[in-house]
Amino acid sequence: MTSLVRAAWSAFRVSVRLRVISPWAYLNWLVFPLIFATVGLYVLSRPGAPSSHLVYGVLGGGLIGYWSVAYLDGGNGIQEERWNGTLEQIFGVPTPLWTIILGKIIGSLLFGLLAFLPTAAFAYVGFHALLPNVDASRFAISLGVLTFSFFSIAITLTPLFALWRWAFSMLNGFELGVYVLCGFMFPIAILATPLQGVAGLLSPTWATRALYASTVAEGPHDFMLWWLLAIGLSLAYLVGAYFLYSLVEREARVSGELALA
Amino acid sequence: MTASLAIEASQLRKTYVTKRGVLRRERVERAALAGVDLAIEPGELFGLLGPNGAGKTTMVKIFTTLLLPTSGTARVLGLDVLKDQWALRRRIGFVFGGERGLYWRLSGLDNLRYFADLYRIPPQVSRRRIAELLERLGLAGRERDRVELYSRGMKQRLHLARGLLNDPDVLFLDEPTIGLDPVGARELRLIVRELADSGTTVFLTTHYMFEADAICDRIAVIKDGGIVAQGTPDSIKDTVQDQGVVEFQVVGMPAERLAGVRALPGVTSVAVSDRELAQLVTVHCARPADVMTHLGAILDGMKLEKVSSREATLEDAYVQLIGESS
Repeated sequence: MTSLVRAAWSAFRVSVRLRVISPWAYLNWLVFPLIFATVGLYVLSRPGAPSSHLVYGVLGGGLIGYWSVAYLDGGNGIQEERWNGTLEQIFGVPTPLWTIILGKIIGSLLFGLLAFLPTAAFAYVGFHALLPNVDASRFAISLGVLTFSFFSIAITLTPLFALWRWAFSMLNGFELGVYVLCGFMFPIAILATPLQGVAGLLSPTWATRALYASTVAEGPHDFMLWWLLAIGLSLAYLVGAYFLYSLVEREARVSGELALA
Repeated sequence: MTASLAIEASQLRKTYVTKRGVLRRERVERAALAGVDLAIEPGELFGLLGPNGAGKTTMVKIFTTLLLPTSGTARVLGLDVLKDQWALRRRIGFVFGGERGLYWRLSGLDNLRYFADLYRIPPQVSRRRIAELLERLGLAGRERDRVELYSRGMKQRLHLARGLLNDPDVLFLDEPTIGLDPVGARELRLIVRELADSGTTVFLTTHYMFEADAICDRIAVIKDGGIVAQGTPDSIKDTVQDQGVVEFQVVGMPAERLAGVRALPGVTSVAVSDRELAQLVTVHCARPADVMTHLGAILDGMKLEKVSSREATLEDAYVQLIGESS
C-alpha cells in the first residue's frame, strides 16, 4: 500500500469512527430519511395517485438521506475540523488535501447508503409498499452511477468549505435544491421548463432517473443515455475539482482562513 | 541566504486583506509582518517574544507552510516555504498552544496513528515511534482513553507527540505552555530543552519571559510585525542593566499624576496594571533613588499601598522594548 493510499484509508477510518459515535450522524442517515419517506409514502399512496409514483416514496427518503450524508457531511465535516482546530493540522501535513477528503467522502458514501435500509423497511412494514418490477442489474448499475455522481459533486464542493467560511451558509440551500431539481421525491417533468434545464446539468438527475426507471416496467427507458450523461457530467465536475484543489491549496495559504480567530 | 541555517527569513512581510461593511464593502489591509529578517542555526532553541497581535503566530504559520508571505523569502532547512512545501512538511513538526487541534472523541493513540499516516510514515516505523513518544511524554497507559478525558497538560503533551511523530529536524511551538498549570508547564519546558539538547532546532513563541529566559539559547522580541531586539537572554537583559525599576501600588491613578511620573528625569517607561481594586505602576528609570524622592510630591494625598525598588529583569527589558505603557 503506498503512503497516499494509506493516508486516504486512514481518513476513511477516522471519518467512519467519528460518525459511529456521533448522535448527529444518525439524524442524517436515519431520522430525516424516515420523515421524508413517511410524507412521500403518505401522499403517493393516497387514492388517485399514480401507482408508478409510489417508487418515489419507497426510494425517495433513502435517496435524500444518501445525498445528505454524502454532501452535507462533507461540508459539516470540514466546518467541524475548523472548529476543532484540526483543519490547519491536516492541511499542514505532507499529504495533499484531496487525498484526505477522498477518504472522508468514501466514508460518507458508505454511511449514506445505509439510509436506504430503514426507509425501504419502513415502506414495506408501514405502507406495504414494494418494488415488484426491479431490474436488479440495471438497479445496481444505476446505484453505482448515482454513487459516482454524488462522489464527484461532494469532492468538488468540499474544498470550498475549507477555503471560504461563508460557503458553509450555502450548504443547506444547495442540498435542498438538489432534492428538488434532481427528482428525488417526484418526477422532474412537473418542474418549470427552465428548472428542468438546470436539472439537466446535474449528474444525479440522470442517475436518479435511471434508478427509478429500473424499478418500473413501463418505458420508454434509455438507460445507456442516462448513465452516460451522469458519468460524463460527473467527470466534468472532477476536471473542475482538479483545478479547484490547486486553487484552494494556494488561496487558503494566502487568506489564512483555515483557523478560527 | 545561507544553506546551513535551520531557519532564515529575509524581508518577510505578510499583509492580511479583509472586507468590512455590509452594503458598502470596504477593503481593509492589516500588516502582520513588516519586513522580518531572521537567521537561526541548527540545534538552537530560539524564542520569539511579543504581545498579542505582534505577528508571532503569523511567522510560525509561514515557516510551517500554512501561510504564504506577501513578499520576502523564508527558508527552513534550506527549503523555500513557497516552492518546496511538500518536501519541507515531511521534515518539520508544529504544535499550537491550547486544547484544540485534536480529535477529542478519538483516543490519543488513534490521533497519533491517524497523523502518522497523514505524515506518510511507514507503519513499522510509526508503531515504534508512537510507543517511544507515549513513553517519553508520560502518556503510556492512557493512550487508549478518549482525548476528552485527558487533562489539559496531557492534551498538550499529546500535541507535542503529534508534532514529533515524523522525528522533525525543526520543531515549531506556538505558545505551547499557555493555560498549563505550573507543574505541567515546567515538565513541558524540560522536554523542549531536552529536544534542543538532542539536536532538534526549536522555534518557540511565548508570552512568558521566565520561560524564554530559562530555556532559550537566543530570543527575539517582535512588535507590530518587526523585530525590535535579538540576542541571548543575557544580552537582552543587558540593555536595561544600567536601569532600575520602581514599583508602587495605589488606589486610582489619575492621568495627570501619571504624566507627572513620566516627566521625571531619567524615566524611560511607565506601565500600569490592575491589581484588583488598586493599580501597580512600574517605572523604568536610570536613577531609582531620584524617582523615589520625587514620588512623594506627585502622589501627595493618594493612598499608597507599597513602594519598592529592584534591579531590571528580562521582563523589564521586554516591557521597555515593546514600549508597553498606559
